[in-house]
Amino acid sequence: MTEPSVNLRNPALAALLAWLIPGAGHIYQGRIGKGILYAICILGLFFIGLIMGEGKIVYWRWVNPLQNPEKFPLYYLGQFFVGLPSLPALVQSLLERYGHGPILGGFMAEPSQNTLNALQNRLGKLVEIGSIYTCVAGLLNILAIYDAFDGPAYHDETSPEAQAVPASAGGIPAGGSV
Amino acid sequence: MNPSASVEVYWLILPLVIAISLVYSASRHESWRRIWWHSARLCVWIMGLLMMATAILLLINTQV
Repeated sequence: MTEPSVNLRNPALAALLAWLIPGAGHIYQGRIGKGILYAICILGLFFIGLIMGEGKIVYWRWVNPLQNPEKFPLYYLGQFFVGLPSLPALVQSLLERYGHGPILGGFMAEPSQNTLNALQNRLGKLVEIGSIYTCVAGLLNILAIYDAFDGPAYHDETSPEAQAVPASAGGIPAGGSV
Repeated sequence: MNPSASVEVYWLILPLVIAISLVYSASRHESWRRIWWHSARLCVWIMGLLMMATAILLLINTQV
């Protein structure tokens, strides 16, 4: 593996920041443009999805996925990687588990089955699409976290795409400086 | 949901594909020119494959 062409500063801290707030790790590394791009794409997808589901599609409940797979909130495994924006769900479920009431007006607290059914009847496919948006946002942030930790997958002068970029698209010849 | 609304739902794939293309490309390159170029290409590829799969499934569905 070649030396990274970008200064990753403290990669572990950058990865942690990238998980907490998508794009923050890159901004910490001085890769401002990339940080903004990640933030817009990932947070945009997450919040649009959340709005589609009227804020009730991001939640966590403590169930054993092997004993009760139907109740297991699979989407949250992806949503978790959006970082801070999805953490209220974890906090709410912890509070409920230890016998406390929800905080923040029940934001991201587990909705009742009746609420979920009513939402499904009223919004139809939007609930499913919102869940996919929020889950994919988290999965995309895994790519961003890895980029913050290890730098880009290809250093541009050695990437296979380098040969394919036409001059009109601003391609830099292989071996040329970036 | 009325039929026109159900058709409009399919447009929601577009922002998803654009975001996936941009983030994936950004994770591979550092140069903005390459990021835009790769992401545009990837976006066209994904949309093309999705449309092809939809066409094939529709064809099978109407023949059966």
